[in-house]
Amino acid sequence: MRGLTKEYVLQRFLMYLLTIWLGSTLIFVIPRLAPGDPVSEMVGRLSLDAGYIENADKLIASWKARFGLDAPIHVQYFRYWGNVFRLNFGYSLSHFPTEAWSMVSRALPWSLGLLTVSTVLSFSIGVTVGSLMGWRRTPRWLQMILPSSLAFTAIPYFMFGIMLIYLVAFELDWLPATGAYSRRVDPGWNLPFIKNMLSHAILPVVSIVLTSMGGWALGMRGLMISVNNEDYFLLAQVKGLSPARIFFRYGVRNAILPALTALALGLGGLISGSILVEFIFAYPGTGYTLYQAIISQDYTVTQAIANLIILVTATSVFLLDLLYPFIDPRITYKRTMR
Amino acid sequence: MAVGQRTPEDASAPAQGWGLNTWDSPWLNFKFLLGAGIVLLILLFGLVGPFFWDTDLAYTGAGPLNKPPVWAEGGLPEHPLGTESNGRDMLAQLILATPSSLKVGFLAAIIGMGIGMALGSVAGYVGGWWDHVIRTLSDSAVTIPALVVLVVIASYVQMTDTTAMALILALFAWPGPTRLVRSQVLTLRERSYVRMAHLSGASALEIMFVEMLPNMLPWLAASLTGGISAAILGATGLEVLGLGPTRVPSLGLIINQATTNAALVRGLVWWWLPPIIILMIIFVGFFLMTIGLDEIANPRIRQFSSTRRERTAAGELPPVEPIEDGTAGEEEAALEVDDLHVHYFTPRGEVIAANGVDFSVRKGEILGLVGESGCGKTTVAMAILQVVQPPGRIVQGAVRIEDRDLVSLSGRELRQVRWRDLALVPQGAMNSLNPVTPIREQMADAILAHENIGRVELEQRILNLLNDVGLPERVIDMFPHELSGGMKQRVCIAMSIALNPQVIIADEPTSALDVVVQRVVAQTLLEVKERLGVSMVMIGHDMGLQAQLVDRIAVMYAGNLVEVAPVESAFAGPLHPYTQLLIESIPSIRERKPLNVTEGLTHDLRDPPPGCIFQFRCKHVERICRERRPELVEREDDHLVACWLYEPERHALIELEEA
Repeated sequence: MRGLTKEYVLQRFLMYLLTIWLGSTLIFVIPRLAPGDPVSEMVGRLSLDAGYIENADKLIASWKARFGLDAPIHVQYFRYWGNVFRLNFGYSLSHFPTEAWSMVSRALPWSLGLLTVSTVLSFSIGVTVGSLMGWRRTPRWLQMILPSSLAFTAIPYFMFGIMLIYLVAFELDWLPATGAYSRRVDPGWNLPFIKNMLSHAILPVVSIVLTSMGGWALGMRGLMISVNNEDYFLLAQVKGLSPARIFFRYGVRNAILPALTALALGLGGLISGSILVEFIFAYPGTGYTLYQAIISQDYTVTQAIANLIILVTATSVFLLDLLYPFIDPRITYKRTMR
Repeated sequence: MAVGQRTPEDASAPAQGWGLNTWDSPWLNFKFLLGAGIVLLILLFGLVGPFFWDTDLAYTGAGPLNKPPVWAEGGLPEHPLGTESNGRDMLAQLILATPSSLKVGFLAAIIGMGIGMALGSVAGYVGGWWDHVIRTLSDSAVTIPALVVLVVIASYVQMTDTTAMALILALFAWPGPTRLVRSQVLTLRERSYVRMAHLSGASALEIMFVEMLPNMLPWLAASLTGGISAAILGATGLEVLGLGPTRVPSLGLIINQATTNAALVRGLVWWWLPPIIILMIIFVGFFLMTIGLDEIANPRIRQFSSTRRERTAAGELPPVEPIEDGTAGEEEAALEVDDLHVHYFTPRGEVIAANGVDFSVRKGEILGLVGESGCGKTTVAMAILQVVQPPGRIVQGAVRIEDRDLVSLSGRELRQVRWRDLALVPQGAMNSLNPVTPIREQMADAILAHENIGRVELEQRILNLLNDVGLPERVIDMFPHELSGGMKQRVCIAMSIALNPQVIIADEPTSALDVVVQRVVAQTLLEVKERLGVSMVMIGHDMGLQAQLVDRIAVMYAGNLVEVAPVESAFAGPLHPYTQLLIESIPSIRERKPLNVTEGLTHDLRDPPPGCIFQFRCKHVERICRERRPELVEREDDHLVACWLYEPERHALIELEEA
């Protein structure tokens, strides 16, 4: 098959495994490098609250045994990997009978919905704006207007979010400030709920889209300008092709390739990039769950989410790598030869 | 494309004009300077602030609670920006917090840059196994979502001060610079001036710092400013979540305290808004610096922006005056170029790349357009095709095919004429085919833009064309990177004859090929021409090749035609001193002759001298040559030359003028 050679797939797959291994190992190692351990700390806090706990040492030892923290480090490491593979992260420490994984899977749809919509919007708007900005034949009036879409690019999205909440939700009282839906509607596939849900999503989506599309636009503009100077772009003009065909088939088609790689990274970061937005808007997605887990020192949930995010990011990059030879036929040559 | 053509020498010259002391230095980029100014101002606020304001007021209980700024109702003059719910003075907090936020960013980005430069140069310079390991590590490190790992780390590691935070942030700041430095080193080490330094015995470190670093500087700077703002963003994110150092005031921490104390609902705008405003100013400053540096590093973006600015400043371009067809040349001309002037409007002045170029191509003939690199022959080709790239522009003249002046055609009319009447075999077929689409599609869209034919017929036609140039049928479904240089050039030839055009412009069609392939390609061109009776303009600098291929030859020097003659008489009895020089310089096996190096330099193309343009290099220069420009005049049968030597009356002319 053209493009996908066995060697290439294997190489990409090894890369994929390496990324997951690096990320998850980091998640495993960091807590163990830190001074103190979660169990002693928790017991410490309990004794602070209660004033004094009898047999604190025994309590620590038995809890450590319960969570497998008494085993030698390499045994812990192998056990940890077994759990990662089975998506078994144990119970949530702060919501005890609930399993860590089920807390994560409950939050996941909210994050995916919110961030897929905003990423797709900002990518498509940004790429369109950038392509037009980097094309010599874009009408003058459009060239004048387009840069205004970059106005919010330099502002971090969560700061923009805070200002939106203040202006739109509190001062103008147009849209709800926080949460994913109001208490007064019943969750389910009914019209009032969907309307309510959408009205809650507007502010977070707007704050992400307005602040992130400029980045896409700037990147795409640079890529488009480079393509503008390529010999094949000139030849396409000399061939007498219509401007629209030159723009799409010779301009955007070539310029968009690196932007797609960035999109795959962005899609993976979907779940992670949301921490701050979800925190500001108290949106019940994975990011907010991660925040709450960290505040309440719920280590199992923290680990579950961090591993999930690493897995998703690596997977989307791997999938793009597999797709790439079909988008850019040169790629297998380039990557294996260089 | 600049006036000069791409010559091997261009690629080997170190980047020119990076000097900081010249007034047209690219570092004097408005966006970069504005951004740097903004960042400096903010830094100044943090550094000078403590001398003017008592920073002890930043601690709990320093003043009354929740007082608005002085200009609002109830504000106190001793707390000009108000106080928050713990009685802390806002101005004092901001003065303390601003430099610590900046410090984290600078520290993390500089550490990351240091690691990146070390790893990147090792990977790029040493290569091999080292390269493999470093590249794999940085590739996968980029994939790991930084904020998540940061948050996880921050939840375990109690960060006491900003240095600890900067160290942790630096963990994520190295892959970007590493990849950048590696790819820069890889491209730079192939440049000939770096190779020269290597051969002359410079050490690796010397080469790195003396030869490579200056060329990488704008890229590194852009990466650094981008890294600083990313690190500040990461740090602020952690602080807003309450996971940063809690004892040191920082802008993110103020926002965190404000939001957790419901400052938004309670209307305490002066609590949460000022840190956000300061952060926004910081980010806008770094953002401007980064895009300014991008423009400095990437001349294409710079050129794109500046030509657009110039175009807007100049308003609508004056239309080119159509030349009344009074001088209508020969009857059987397929292509007429009439008094063509092309200027490049560069920031340093107007470069005259074609100055009144005037020739015609007869039906069925090949006209060779020759001259040394930079003489404007490719510019003339681009002007004939109406694709002169900005900042260049046709300022005067006409290009006629069948009495239609291409210069004055509208976009739509021009598209119809293109390829149907006038096709191109490009210079460097290597890059003239779209790398991501198969040959079939690229040939098809040339045909379909002008004709409406069915799929089957289209495919048959493409196969026939490939056959015509001696390529196997399987080429139709191949991609450009799967073809050799000679095959690509033949695909381009096949494409150029797809619509049976009247005229084909062949722009140095063989220049990038080796000698054997050159022959094959030249042969293909000749066959095509014989069979189709097409007229051709063959541009080149290889006099030997021209002698074998063309019917007439036109010699160009510094934007001017100096001689146009049938190829036999041009080689047997060249008239212009420059043509004589060119023909003498053809190497011969039979006799070894000393290479005749031309003395003197070409004049500055922005400011041509009065009189003959060849006067500085001409052996026979006389007084009239320095004062009056010679016209292109027919001196022998069909043999035109622009030179005073063949004007018997030249002495009389100059005396007449003095009288």
